[in-house]
Amino acid sequence: MACALPRESVSAPARRLPLRGADLVLMAMQRLWTDAKVSNNTILVVQCDGPIAVDRIGRALDRLLDFYPWPAARLRRPFPWGKLHWAAGSRGALVPPPVRHRSVARPEELQDELEAELNSAIDPRRDPPLRFLIVDWRQEPARAQSFLVLTWFHPLMDPRGGQNLLMHLAHLDRDEPGALGALPTFVPDPDLRPLKERGRLARRSLDYMRTLTPGPLVSPGTELIGPGRVRFRQESFAERDAIASDKRATRGICWRLALVGKAMAGLWERRGLPKVPFLVPISVDLRPKGDAGPTFGNWLAFHFARFAPSETANVAALASALRRQLVDAMRDGQIEANSVAMEFLKYRPLAMMPRYLPGTSSGETFSFNCADVMDFPPALETLFGRRVVNAYHAPAVLPRPGIGVFFNRCATRHNLVVSWIEGAASEGDVAQIVEVVRAGMGWARTA
Amino acid sequence: MSRRTAAARLDRIDPDEVANALTTFINTSIMARGRPVRSNDDLETAGVDSMGLLKILLFIEAEFGFWIPDEDLVEENIRSPRALAGYICRYLRRRRSPS
Repeated sequence: MACALPRESVSAPARRLPLRGADLVLMAMQRLWTDAKVSNNTILVVQCDGPIAVDRIGRALDRLLDFYPWPAARLRRPFPWGKLHWAAGSRGALVPPPVRHRSVARPEELQDELEAELNSAIDPRRDPPLRFLIVDWRQEPARAQSFLVLTWFHPLMDPRGGQNLLMHLAHLDRDEPGALGALPTFVPDPDLRPLKERGRLARRSLDYMRTLTPGPLVSPGTELIGPGRVRFRQESFAERDAIASDKRATRGICWRLALVGKAMAGLWERRGLPKVPFLVPISVDLRPKGDAGPTFGNWLAFHFARFAPSETANVAALASALRRQLVDAMRDGQIEANSVAMEFLKYRPLAMMPRYLPGTSSGETFSFNCADVMDFPPALETLFGRRVVNAYHAPAVLPRPGIGVFFNRCATRHNLVVSWIEGAASEGDVAQIVEVVRAGMGWARTA
Repeated sequence: MSRRTAAARLDRIDPDEVANALTTFINTSIMARGRPVRSNDDLETAGVDSMGLLKILLFIEAEFGFWIPDEDLVEENIRSPRALAGYICRYLRRRRSPS
């Protein structure tokens, strides 16, 4: 809501970074729960093989602000109307984001610290949009480990952006010659196509999205009276020996979505939820491949996968059907149109944005979340002088749908993260989801 | 394209040319500037994800007139532009002379 945002300061010239389409969708979704102040945080957890010096992160952050102010920016909207954007003053006025330090002795304490980061909502109008926490896990000295936790307000950047930010900080920490001299792409290039063409694409996408949800959606969080705490469970797995063709089939998002759909169908059945079709947005990373690409802004478009719970009985057939859906959407140019349509959302007030997304008439936007962030960058093999052992991300999901499943890979580890809202699912539900996905992927539990 | 032209094109089809066409498409439509792949490069290692692979399959459909069946989407057929080119040539020859 425009009037809920502070007025633009007129006392100092501000550098501005407009929010992208997917950033705005995240803002609009959160706004459905304005009174409950739900968290829109995401965390990126990097497990390292020894203690990380807090001052090294602080120094690298300080140097980063010499080039890019956005980690110290605040969210603004010009009064009385205008585009939401990140605003930062002159370099001298920028305060680096906080870097805190904790020590824990037991795994449960570590999990509590991580969940506290997810639940301690960032207010981007008043707080820096990101912060760091170092958690030292003090086991016996030979096995001491450290966890670097980057927490950010999700509309600032997507998980790949978070990884890119760490890469830039690592370069600055190592003081590599010309670390930022080549000026990596921090923000994406603007779309130079004529407004008329973009408008045509956007209308096409909106028309398409309106056809997606003929009936009301149901999610496990449908009957939640009040939003609960954000929880998450992360497990790492190793790939079993498998023939190459099987491995290739399971790497695709369609296979993974089919498996998660199967696990969710089981949850639906146990909870007696109506067997209505699932609608699941799949994020498509728009970055060109082979390069890190932009850091700030959620650089995503969406494809909307649809399937019935009964279809999950045959995962291979469902994966194939989902692939056909995706191919049809690409062939029709719907994914490109979606990215253009989302950019047009910036011309709408936040309150109106949900009208343009599928299934929002009942307040349900989709059935559950699912995403694959792919590989943690091999360039981040070491970070602040420590070897990276594992890394994964966990977002705070909204009370509805109340649950999401996220994949990524760090070296040979396959990570599975289930993020949920207390009340939408139980720990037992989550354990069953993890097991269904693990078995379907052919993964083995690591020690 | 007339039937005769298509047949003549199939006679001339050369795996190197197909690999070059695929490599050019991948470098202009999928890869970042300054990060081109070569025809023998492993596409997955180069950063081509499942969405990128679908783009390549759509290109093959548009250029060579067929959709690669799911059961043929195995590592040996899709590892690199050259592997894809080899598969495309085998598929087209097989289709032309089914015996």
